[in-house]
Amino acid sequence: MSADELTPPEAARWAARAGLPLPADRHAAVAATADHIHSVVAVLRELDFGDTPPAAAYRAGEEKRDAAV
Amino acid sequence: MQPYELSLTAASEAIRTRKLSPVELVDSVLDRLAKVEPQLEAYVTVTPEQARRAAREAERDVAAGRLRGPLQGIPMGLKDLIDVAGAATTASSRVRADHRADTDSTVAARLAAAGAILIGKTHTHEFAYGLTTPQTHNARDRDRVAGGSSGGSAVAVAAGTATFALGTDTGGSIRVPSALNGVVGLKPTYGLVPRHGVTSLSWSLDHVGPITRTVEDAALVLAALAGHDPRDPASLATSGDYRPGAGTDLTGLRVGVPRNYYFDHVDPEVEAAVRRAIDTLESLGARLVEVEIPMTRYIQATQWGLMVPEATAYHERTLRAVPELYQADVRILLEAGELMPAGDYVRAQRARTLMRQAWARLLDDVDVIAAPTVPVTAVKAGQDTVTWSDGTVEGVADAYVRLSAPANITGVPSLSVPVGDDTAGLPIGMQLLGRPLGEPVLLRMGHAYEQTQPARQLATV
Repeated sequence: MSADELTPPEAARWAARAGLPLPADRHAAVAATADHIHSVVAVLRELDFGDTPPAAAYRAGEEKRDAAV
Repeated sequence: MQPYELSLTAASEAIRTRKLSPVELVDSVLDRLAKVEPQLEAYVTVTPEQARRAAREAERDVAAGRLRGPLQGIPMGLKDLIDVAGAATTASSRVRADHRADTDSTVAARLAAAGAILIGKTHTHEFAYGLTTPQTHNARDRDRVAGGSSGGSAVAVAAGTATFALGTDTGGSIRVPSALNGVVGLKPTYGLVPRHGVTSLSWSLDHVGPITRTVEDAALVLAALAGHDPRDPASLATSGDYRPGAGTDLTGLRVGVPRNYYFDHVDPEVEAAVRRAIDTLESLGARLVEVEIPMTRYIQATQWGLMVPEATAYHERTLRAVPELYQADVRILLEAGELMPAGDYVRAQRARTLMRQAWARLLDDVDVIAAPTVPVTAVKAGQDTVTWSDGTVEGVADAYVRLSAPANITGVPSLSVPVGDDTAGLPIGMQLLGRPLGEPVLLRMGHAYEQTQPARQLATV
């Protein structure tokens, strides 16, 4: 296992910090799934984003009116 | 031909000219449903009494000349993530056993106003978080997956138990089951169809759209659904008449044919069928242009980086209160999502910005990109992986999402059209991707292609 993979006790501790206490019989499976997700998304660290903003944004002052049905 | 076999377009014309009554049509669909639903299990709930009552009302309206447009008297199914006032929105989950929607979703209200008749609520992979819809059977082969997550909607339309249906699409969930069951699926531009009252999987990736028998049918449904609703923060102030013209001339349109990504790790029969369909587009006058798909190394990472934490956030309360009520595959993803750092999510949102910019440049050069919808036809129920000719093993869900995700990340519209069957008789889909709000071009091209092909038969079940 590589240095950045979570052990089952670490997964339990991270989940607890997120406010989700996990029963002991779920620690290993959650750690394995979280590690798999991590391995998929970690590739984004290769990108040099420069000044690129995140896509999540909103328009202030959006007009409020009833929906047209 | 029985009324349940009619396309929406044909049924609509028959109703308008009083050759067919909405009562006859709804009765025919309900009779078909009684016969085949036990083998398909496409529906969570069916509401025949309300449907027959609405059909009688529609019949009276048509007789009195109170015409409400092309969806009047047309029987439909709604994916059970879509609120209908007074009914449960179960999301095909035990978590929602006691649910009851107080009001209609925007799309349900708009379809009701257009005169469409609800047959029932269709199965989804639990909370749309999966690609197979295990409760439901493929319309062509009941031992194979329906695809998902809008599996019930696609199977109902393919089998004649709904004349059209709505699905939702976060990573392919309209297009995948449409392709696997041989029907048309449209994921509209992000924000074109309001999502108010539709259970979310991932706010920044979710779309609602039609599943139909023909491209023209999809255009008719889209026209009823599109339009601004301030209750969906992504909603666009756009609507229109999407019905494609009758002609098949595609002269002047440039079709991008990907040299990378979309034909990698694709079943040879799927590739051959899609390339034949692209050749047909060329024979209709379109110009084929080889294109390079940008940032492909980051597509899955961006999709997961957005979807996983957003889905976990949506389920925060219930995951703590009733975790045992989720199916195992969904529960583990929701739990593991709690462990994704915020930095990964922000990185995915920034990657999306770059990807949208790169796709905008790509779509400066071509009007449409044509590609397979899914790399492989419907797999056997219970099959977990696909093994490619180079020995690579890929999860079934990963394979089904792979070619769909770019349109969810970038928000561009994508239309899946059937382009034939493999040697096992299983349907193959081609997707046409366009510029944001480029639905008219996709529908024109899809409709032109369909007119060159023999009319498709319903699944025999």
